[in-house]
Amino acid sequence: MKIPKVTLFLFLLPSLALIFIFGLYPVVYNVFLSLKDVNLITYIRGTSKDVGSLNYRAILGDSLFWRALYNTIVFTLLSIVLQMVVGFLLALLFYYEFPLKGFLQALVMVPWVMPIMVSGSFFRWFLNDNGFLNNLLATFGWITEPVRWITLERVVIYSLTAVNVWLGIPFNFILLYTGMQQIPEELYESADIDGAAGWQKVLYIALPMLKPVLVATFVLGCILTFKVFDLVWIVTRGGPGGASHLLSTLSYSLAFDRFQFGKSAAVLVLMQIIVILFVGFSTRIRLEER
Amino acid sequence: MRKHRGWKWSALVALVVALVISPLYFIAIGGFMSTEEIFHKPPYLFPPRPSLAYYREAILTLSPYIKNSFIIAFGTLLLTLLVALPAPFVLTKFRFSLKGPVDFLFALVQMLPYTAVIVPLFLMFTKLKLIDSHLGVMLALSVFLVPFAVIILRSYMISVPSGLIEAALIDGAGYFKIFTSIVLPLSAPGIASVAILVFLLAWGSFIVPLAFIKAESMRPLSIGLYVFIGQYGVEWNKLMAGSMIYTIPPLVVALLAGKSIVAGLTAGAFKE
Repeated sequence: MKIPKVTLFLFLLPSLALIFIFGLYPVVYNVFLSLKDVNLITYIRGTSKDVGSLNYRAILGDSLFWRALYNTIVFTLLSIVLQMVVGFLLALLFYYEFPLKGFLQALVMVPWVMPIMVSGSFFRWFLNDNGFLNNLLATFGWITEPVRWITLERVVIYSLTAVNVWLGIPFNFILLYTGMQQIPEELYESADIDGAAGWQKVLYIALPMLKPVLVATFVLGCILTFKVFDLVWIVTRGGPGGASHLLSTLSYSLAFDRFQFGKSAAVLVLMQIIVILFVGFSTRIRLEER
Repeated sequence: MRKHRGWKWSALVALVVALVISPLYFIAIGGFMSTEEIFHKPPYLFPPRPSLAYYREAILTLSPYIKNSFIIAFGTLLLTLLVALPAPFVLTKFRFSLKGPVDFLFALVQMLPYTAVIVPLFLMFTKLKLIDSHLGVMLALSVFLVPFAVIILRSYMISVPSGLIEAALIDGAGYFKIFTSIVLPLSAPGIASVAILVFLLAWGSFIVPLAFIKAESMRPLSIGLYVFIGQYGVEWNKLMAGSMIYTIPPLVVALLAGKSIVAGLTAGAFKE
């Protein structure tokens, strides 16, 4: 169907205006900010100086940046893979019909509906040096010294990854479960006739048939996890000593703890370049799938 | 039909689900215990001397933040729906030359990290006097919730029969009339899903109010809970009581409307 230009414009105007003014303009503005020496005072006075690539050179020469980049990659990839494994196993459990299925499925969504401030605070207590987890392990006699889950520099990013895996369970479960429903039942039935074992049906029927869904879940998961900020900010604030900074928390901390808006913007521009590269790469994968 | 399993299977699944949602249980009972009891070794699985005092105190301290959270969540919901609803109608039902780029734009903005716009928006809002304002928070949240809503609504509005719209056009109905009296009612389930998801996401929002709201009296619960994380240590029991209070509205919504949440999330994820 055709629609008159003016009518079309009126229908698109509200959403496009919002996106351009408060979404795309800020992103472009970031690029300019990253080339200036901006702090709150120079910004309000309008006297921020151009510094060329100085912010970028400062960032790339800072070990904190490389640490954050490494953390972001480890955090993202590890989270996605583990989330998908857990989500898949859970989806297998829910594949059957059983009493109370609807109710239990609603409960699985709980990690998703809990405000992040709540789950973050909980894990701050749970993983504390004298918190729940260490007390529990000590009770069973499995540890004598508290494990420093979130206070030891080597360990902290893995603890945060584990928490993020928990946070991602509902989303991965729902996508994979929905995908499983689409697989024609006859395939399993004929496998039954051929005498296939349960694990063979999973390995040779469910997983190959799920491939498009698995790819979509992986790509979506990467995009969602790459942007994680809140969880790390609430549990560790990037500490101890910057050991758990992600690119997102590092840029936030540069801007709002140290008021170095220019450097913060430089980190964000680098982050966006990674996202754009990844999106370009992943759409290529999805195109080849077809 | 899928194979049926009995109560034994239910028990197995229930056990796994209980493990997944156990944090909620420990938050709930944490609000009934003293700080010493919370850190007791071995950890208590039930509060040994449950006390309502911490919950009572948490409600008293948090009531202004609760109000702010409701204002922000419903305001964002209203703004997002108002702005997002018209776009998917023309994007799904009509051909026009810039359709591809517009579609791409919505997908692109949804992929941007919040942190990418927080710093420039903070500087913009400082000039526009939108810092410490609920409107500023609503606008910033809508930037990402609008594309999210558009993408979900597309998969509902596309199934509105085109014949119905053509017939109405021939009868002389205007586009706006068709939109309000045919398209909106027929995509009601989608709108409900979107409304629920937007409410949940706005209710739980953290980074936007953290960056844009410095005035104590304007803070929503996500930032308001920091009153229990003071300079001199955390008041864990009140923090947990407050956390539980903060979680109750989304929990009620999820248990009542779990199907809509799932429908919305999967519609948004598998589009295109």
